[in-house]
Amino acid sequence: MSTLPHIHQDPSARSVRADNDPSTRVLEVANLRVVFEDETRTVTAVDGVSFSVHKGRTLAIVGESGSGKSVTSLAVMRLLPEHSARISGSVHFDGRQLLDETKSGMRSLRGNRMAMIFQEPMTSLNPSYTVGEQINEVILRHRDISKKEATQRGIDMLKLVRIPSPEARYSQFPHNLSGGMRQRVMIAMALACDPELLIADEPTTALDVTIQAQVLELMRDLQQKTGTAIVLITHDLGVVAESCDDVIVMYAGQVVEQCSVEDLFSFPQHPYTVGLLGSLPRLDEKRDQLVAITGTVPDMANLPSGCRFRARCPFSVAKCAEMPELMEVSAGHLSRCWRTPLQDLVP
Amino acid sequence: MTPIVSAATTPIIEARGLGKSFVVKRSVFGKAQASVGAVDDISLSLMPGETLAIVGESGCGKSTLGRLLMRLIKPTAGQVLIDGLDVTNISHSAMRHQRRHVQLIFQDPYASLNPRMTIGQTIAEPLMLHDIVPANQRAKRVAELLEMVGLRPEQASRYPHEFSGGQRQRVVIARALASEPKAIICDEAVSALDVSIQAQVLNLLKSLQTQLGLAFVFISHDLGVVKHIADRVAVMYLGRVVEIGTSADIFAAPRHPYTQALLSAIPVAAPPSQQRPKAARLTGDLPSPLSPPEGCRLHTRCPYARPECKLVSMDLDIEANGHANACAFWRELPAQAAEIAREPRNPKLEQLFAAFEAMAATETAAKALQTVTKEG
Repeated sequence: MSTLPHIHQDPSARSVRADNDPSTRVLEVANLRVVFEDETRTVTAVDGVSFSVHKGRTLAIVGESGSGKSVTSLAVMRLLPEHSARISGSVHFDGRQLLDETKSGMRSLRGNRMAMIFQEPMTSLNPSYTVGEQINEVILRHRDISKKEATQRGIDMLKLVRIPSPEARYSQFPHNLSGGMRQRVMIAMALACDPELLIADEPTTALDVTIQAQVLELMRDLQQKTGTAIVLITHDLGVVAESCDDVIVMYAGQVVEQCSVEDLFSFPQHPYTVGLLGSLPRLDEKRDQLVAITGTVPDMANLPSGCRFRARCPFSVAKCAEMPELMEVSAGHLSRCWRTPLQDLVP
Repeated sequence: MTPIVSAATTPIIEARGLGKSFVVKRSVFGKAQASVGAVDDISLSLMPGETLAIVGESGCGKSTLGRLLMRLIKPTAGQVLIDGLDVTNISHSAMRHQRRHVQLIFQDPYASLNPRMTIGQTIAEPLMLHDIVPANQRAKRVAELLEMVGLRPEQASRYPHEFSGGQRQRVVIARALASEPKAIICDEAVSALDVSIQAQVLNLLKSLQTQLGLAFVFISHDLGVVKHIADRVAVMYLGRVVEIGTSADIFAAPRHPYTQALLSAIPVAAPPSQQRPKAARLTGDLPSPLSPPEGCRLHTRCPYARPECKLVSMDLDIEANGHANACAFWRELPAQAAEIAREPRNPKLEQLFAAFEAMAATETAAKALQTVTKEG
C-alpha cells in the first residue's frame, strides 16, 4: 500500500498503470451486447451490460448457467469467435478501446496486461509440455529477457503461489499435479507478467472445499501484493461474500443488480437475488423446505417482453410488462426492478 | 438363512467391516503388484426412513462406498446386507431381485438416461423388469410417477433432450421410484444443478421421503446441502470414516480436526462485516491413496498433528450419544468455540423469502387442482 498522497486523475488516462490510487478504473465496460446468430435463430446472450473494475478490487459476476456471465468475460478478452458473435458497446482498458483493437494488438495484451483463468485447470494446460515450459512461453512472449531469467521468474512464480518444492515441479507435467496444484499453476502463469486485470471464470468450482479455501486465500494475498484488479465469475454466493468487494448479478443476459458485496448480503434489492439467497442451504438453521424459485430461466432465443424475471417473481405487478431500467435504490445500489425498495413490500 | 428380526429394527442396508481395493498395476503374468484401498474397514447401517449422508473430498472413497452398498461392485473385505439378506456373495439373478429394494441416482441426469427412449419407456422399464404392474396398467403407473416428481403425465412421450437439467433429474428420480424401493442412494444427485433448481429437487426428495417412508444414502461434498437433508452424517477421509453422528451433533460440535476444517472451509453467504474468524485450515493436498500415511491418515495435513499421530490407529471412539470419531487426541484439542456461523438475517428479508415460498406453494396447489379437474 502506498503512503504517497493520491492525485485524482482521469480514469481513461494512460498513466493508470503507474498510478496507485485504488479508486482508479482498470477496465470499463459500457453497454456491452453480444448477439449470436445463425440461420434459424438469434440469441442475445449479453444485453447492455455495463460495469467497471478498479485497481486492487475484486468484482464478482454472479448468475446461474446461461445468464451470460462467461460470455461477458470472453467478449472483454475478445476470445469469442468473430464469425458467429456480433459484439457492440465499448470496452475500455487502460485508455484503449478493446473492441477496435487489432488481433495482434490483443495478443500483446492478453497474458501480459490482462490474463484469464478458467474452471478446469486440466483442459487449460497442455498435457504434452512441462509446467515450466508453459510458464516460460508466456514470459518469453511478452518480456525481453533471456531463457535463463525466464526460468528463474517461472520458479519464483511457482513459489509465490505456494507450490511445495517449486524447482522439482517446474519440470513436471500437468498430470503429475493434483487439481488444486494445477489451478495454482494456472494462477502463476496468469500473474507471470504482472497483469493489471485478471479474469477468473469459476476458478474454484472444480476444487474441493478445503482446496478452494486455500486457492481463494492465495488470490486475496496476491492481490494485496500486486494490486491486480480481479473479475471473479462464479455461481457460488458464498465465494462472493468471502472474497469480493463489488458484485453484479446477471439474469438472462442482463445485469439485474449491482452494488457492494456488503449491501448485497445485507439486503438485496432484486427479487431474483432474494430468491437465490433463499435457496442456499444454510449451515446455521434447518428448514423443512428450502425457498425455491419456481419455474426455469426463459429461453434466450425467445425472450418474454418486459421484465425477464416476471414469470418467476412473487412480487410482479402489471407494470412489470414494461422492461425496467437499472435504477438506483440507494447510493451505489442499483436494481432492475419496478418494486424497489423491496423492504417496503413487507410490513 | 435370513435372520428373522422384527422389521422395525432391521437396517435396510448394513455394511460390516467393508473394504474394497482396486488393483492398479499387474505384472506380465497378471499378478497384482500395487493396489489402492478405496474403502477400508467401514461399518454402518441405514435404518428405514432415515437419511444418512456420506461426505468427504474427491478421492475419499465415498462413491465407491455407494456402489458397494448396492453391490454394483464386489467388496474385497467385509459384508453387505440388504434388507437383512447377506448379498456379499449371492448370484447375479438373486442380486437383481434384491436390487429392487435399493436404487441409485447419479450426478449427471443426462448420462443416466437413454437418449433413444422416451421418458415414459424409461420409467416403465423397471416396472416391466420386476413385473410390478401388469402391462395394461403400466401407462397409468408411469403417469402417477411423473406427477409424483412434479412433471406432467403428457410429457411421457418426450425424449430426454427436450428437458432441462432439473427436469431430467426428476425423470431419473421417477425411474428410481418405479421399483418401489426402500432406499435410494443419491450419488451427488444435486451437484450439477443451479442453486434455485437444486432447492426444488431437494424439496422434492424430502417430500417423497415423508410420503413414501424412503431411506436415503446421500453422497455429497456440499455440507450445506447435507445439513439440510441428513439425519446422520458420516465423514470420510482417504477410505476411512473419521467421524459419524447425528447431523445436529456433527454440525454443532464437530470432534475430528478434519470435520472441523471441512466445516470452516465452506464460504458463508453473509455480509463481509459479519464474517466469522476461520478455524485452522488444512495444509497441502490429499496424499496419494496408493500409499496412505501411516497411523492417522490425516497427520500430514492436520493443524494439530503431533509425532504420536504416526503411530495411532484410526479406530472410532464412540461417545455415549453414539457420536463417534477417529481422532485419538480429540479430547485434548482446543475447544471449537461456537464454530457454526450465525448468519443474522433481516426479519424483513425473511418475509421476502416467505413470499417465494408462498408462490411455490400456490403453484403446487394449482398443479394438483389441474390434475383433479382433468381426472374428474
